[in-house]
Amino acid sequence: MRELPLAAALLGLALLPPAFGSNYLTGVALSGVTFTVAAAALNLVFGYAGLLSFAQLGFWGIGGYCSALTVTRLGGSFWDGLVVAVVVNALAAAAIGLPTLRTKLHAFVIVTLTFALLCGLVARDWVSLTRGPLGIPGLPTPRFFGFAFDSPGRFYYLVLAYAVLALGFLYALGSSRIGDTMRAIKQNEPLAQSQGVSPLPYKLAAFILSAVLTGLAGAIYVFYLKVVDPLFLDFYYMQTFLIVVIIGGAGSFWGVVWAGVVMVGLPELLRFSNDLRMVIYGVILVVAMLAMPRGAAGWFADRKITALRASLR
Amino acid sequence: MSALLTVTNLAKAYRGVHAVEDASFCVERGSITGLIGPNGSGKSTTIDCISGFQRLDRGRVMLEGADITGLTPQKIARAGLVRTFQTVRVYDEFDLVANLMIAVEPFRSVGWHDALLRTGRYRAARKAAETHARELIELVGLTRLAAAPAAILSYGQKKLLALAAALMSRPRLVVLDEPVAGVNPTRINEVATILRKAKAAGTSFLIIEHNVEFITGLCDHVIVFDQGRKLTEGPPAEVHNDPRVLDAYLGIEEPAPHAVAEAS
Repeated sequence: MRELPLAAALLGLALLPPAFGSNYLTGVALSGVTFTVAAAALNLVFGYAGLLSFAQLGFWGIGGYCSALTVTRLGGSFWDGLVVAVVVNALAAAAIGLPTLRTKLHAFVIVTLTFALLCGLVARDWVSLTRGPLGIPGLPTPRFFGFAFDSPGRFYYLVLAYAVLALGFLYALGSSRIGDTMRAIKQNEPLAQSQGVSPLPYKLAAFILSAVLTGLAGAIYVFYLKVVDPLFLDFYYMQTFLIVVIIGGAGSFWGVVWAGVVMVGLPELLRFSNDLRMVIYGVILVVAMLAMPRGAAGWFADRKITALRASLR
Repeated sequence: MSALLTVTNLAKAYRGVHAVEDASFCVERGSITGLIGPNGSGKSTTIDCISGFQRLDRGRVMLEGADITGLTPQKIARAGLVRTFQTVRVYDEFDLVANLMIAVEPFRSVGWHDALLRTGRYRAARKAAETHARELIELVGLTRLAAAPAAILSYGQKKLLALAAALMSRPRLVVLDEPVAGVNPTRINEVATILRKAKAAGTSFLIIEHNVEFITGLCDHVIVFDQGRKLTEGPPAEVHNDPRVLDAYLGIEEPAPHAVAEAS
């Protein structure tokens, strides 16, 4: 009966658009689901493998531009665009990861940050390819065997289907020996090595898989926006993914999924005070970080340890 | 009979300072061998080099006839030489069973796709590994805490967990870096008993330790290091009474320079 709450949550998510009956709220839910997937992908590389990667923003942007360009320039379909996004992001992540993951952690952080900024520059300045600040507008409606995802309510199900697949994969990976080994490397790399673990394949796998999943999220999301421009590489997105992971608790699958729902819903719930809502949002963030420095999941884990210590006295 | 571990002419310098100058020694199969010496005599550097955590400048390390010189720590561990660390290392977030389950050895025949798809092979390997992990946790006397995160353990309990984790790889040789330093004196005998049991089950040990009583009571053979070289070796009782060993520890023949300066 462990599947029951999960099935109920899925059903609830599936019923959101008719329940809202509003394109705006459906759009918020759609963005929330997309950002949660991107945050869960960041959680794989940062929370599980312990690698603070800012490159996620670059992969998100590359995904968006790849799918858009495949459709507008190469005359491919939306689905072809997704394939291109997967291939390009996997190659980019391997090219960054192979040399930098052998070095110290600081080098990795700096290289990924530089990569993200570079992607923004390319989007803005390689005008002949990306049309620069003008962006690529008028992206067509994706179709699946004649079914057109032509309204937010319909597009929502496309995003939800991707989210179920991506999160299901991340859960299967994270709860297996592979996820455990990644978390072991994060906690104590020399100890893992003394147990026979080669760290590099695990770090590289986490980095490439998170790049592919983030890129796919971006590739799908631009077709909801119907436009991709350099603002798609704004640091706002990276910040959102990172906030969700940190508030939820790096390394916890469900912590991050819950935080995704809460952190996207929160600004909308705060609309009762339109002038102050972002201020209140900021205050909530700061208080949450002060009260739970290791995120919600970390807070629960610490309480469990305290209770255990007390019971062992 | 050839030795289990043979180290020949090992040398390692840090920025021109010789930590180990020219060390050669063996560890026999089925033995518990002690490695002692004053602080700075090169013991820790030696085991860092043979376990792959430091690159050695010169020398050769053979394990069961196979050359493991300069391999990565993980390859050396998979070849059968597993070490523990002086400053104890455990996975604080994991429970005790999970701490042991990271070892690669029980999952040798299991691929990534097996883990992702939870194939029968994966589940069988997991089950066997968990049984073995629980046996080892019982061996080190931590069964009561098996489901608790390692963060709640005391320092001494963490050392016991690290020992169990090392044994989880079914190693030929375990290198222990100060296994009883910082451990409650009443528990030191427990550690000796555990090591004798593991030895009886076929594991050999090389132990760095400052606790002389522990070493003499436990070891079959003791190697003494001084100033980056092997000073002497032999049965514990013999080494214990060797005047050169006393000199190395107490420095009777060579007073420290500042002591001379003060005297004059």
